[in-house]
Amino acid sequence: MTGRAAAIALTLLVWSSAGQTGTVRLDDTLTHTVPANVQMQWRPFVRGERDAGMEAWVRVNVRIDTREWMGRSGQVYLVLDSDDTSAMEAEWTTEGRLLAGRIRSGERTLVYSGTLTTATLDDQLVMRLRSLSDWRGSTRRLNFHFEFDTP
Amino acid sequence: MPAALRHVLTLTAAALASALPALDAHAWSLSITSATRRVFLHVGDGTLNGSNGTINRVEVTVPASQLGNGVAQAMTSNSGQSRSLYGDNYTTCPDPANQVMIGASYRRNNNSAPATATLSVTAPVTLTNASGDTIPFSEISWTVSAAGSPSPNVIRAGTFTTGSQTLATVPANTYIENCHSFRYANTAIRAAGTYNGRVTYTLSNP
Repeated sequence: MTGRAAAIALTLLVWSSAGQTGTVRLDDTLTHTVPANVQMQWRPFVRGERDAGMEAWVRVNVRIDTREWMGRSGQVYLVLDSDDTSAMEAEWTTEGRLLAGRIRSGERTLVYSGTLTTATLDDQLVMRLRSLSDWRGSTRRLNFHFEFDTP
Repeated sequence: MPAALRHVLTLTAAALASALPALDAHAWSLSITSATRRVFLHVGDGTLNGSNGTINRVEVTVPASQLGNGVAQAMTSNSGQSRSLYGDNYTTCPDPANQVMIGASYRRNNNSAPATATLSVTAPVTLTNASGDTIPFSEISWTVSAAGSPSPNVIRAGTFTTGSQTLATVPANTYIENCHSFRYANTAIRAAGTYNGRVTYTLSNP
């Protein structure tokens, strides 16, 4: 009876880490933006457009802890949570470790595909943020995170 | 059997605790502040989103043979602004020597800000010469145009009246512009002299 319990324990522990499949949220605690707070600027008017909106630029120093997933293959996505006000669009370039791309509020975009071979995924993004002007207030907080899809 | 069951429950809890760090990983977040509410207005020579101290002048010299005959006299302008400040540099006012370009925009940063701004012009009662003779400002009127625009009268034509009059309502996050050509009505013979007066255009947002 004790032996059976041990077998169950082993199964559960494996499931909790490297054996897990599906989508997991990655630890990106060490990722930060420069500056931490940013002021949007009006975009120039474009003839024929109702609202040119506003934009801002930030640098994102990405560090994702992938120790638990080393040796696993899959896809890493950047997720931008919806914040129930006007849609925000983020477009970025990278230094090559991650993929450049674009995302809108409530969506996710592929930034890495393949086997995770290192304990961290590091890169620096130069990100442009754009939105229309129909905010509900004058300030808002954008929440990003990374997800890992494993087959 | 009861002992085995206790083990399973305990170990299940341990497995969940192990998974929690991944679920609780902090998202990286960014605090952003909207662009600030802004009105922009230029009358004649202007600088986009900048300050331009130029005060342009429109004028006419009435030929002696036509003094007070009721034939309106076109006024010329010393404005050189022919190209739009809209952002595309379009030649909205191709004849700046006879036109004064007026452009206005209102940008609001959220839905709770007022939906429109108001463009108005304020004129004194009269133009005055050095001797104190006067001409009613209502002798001066203007027509409007805008090359290539489907709404050339977005800022309306009119005649100056004493005090303030509204020329246009500017919806949030739009830019409006057109060209104003002034004329003197020439309805009466006036004492000789140079008559001066200044009108002031204002774009306001409560």
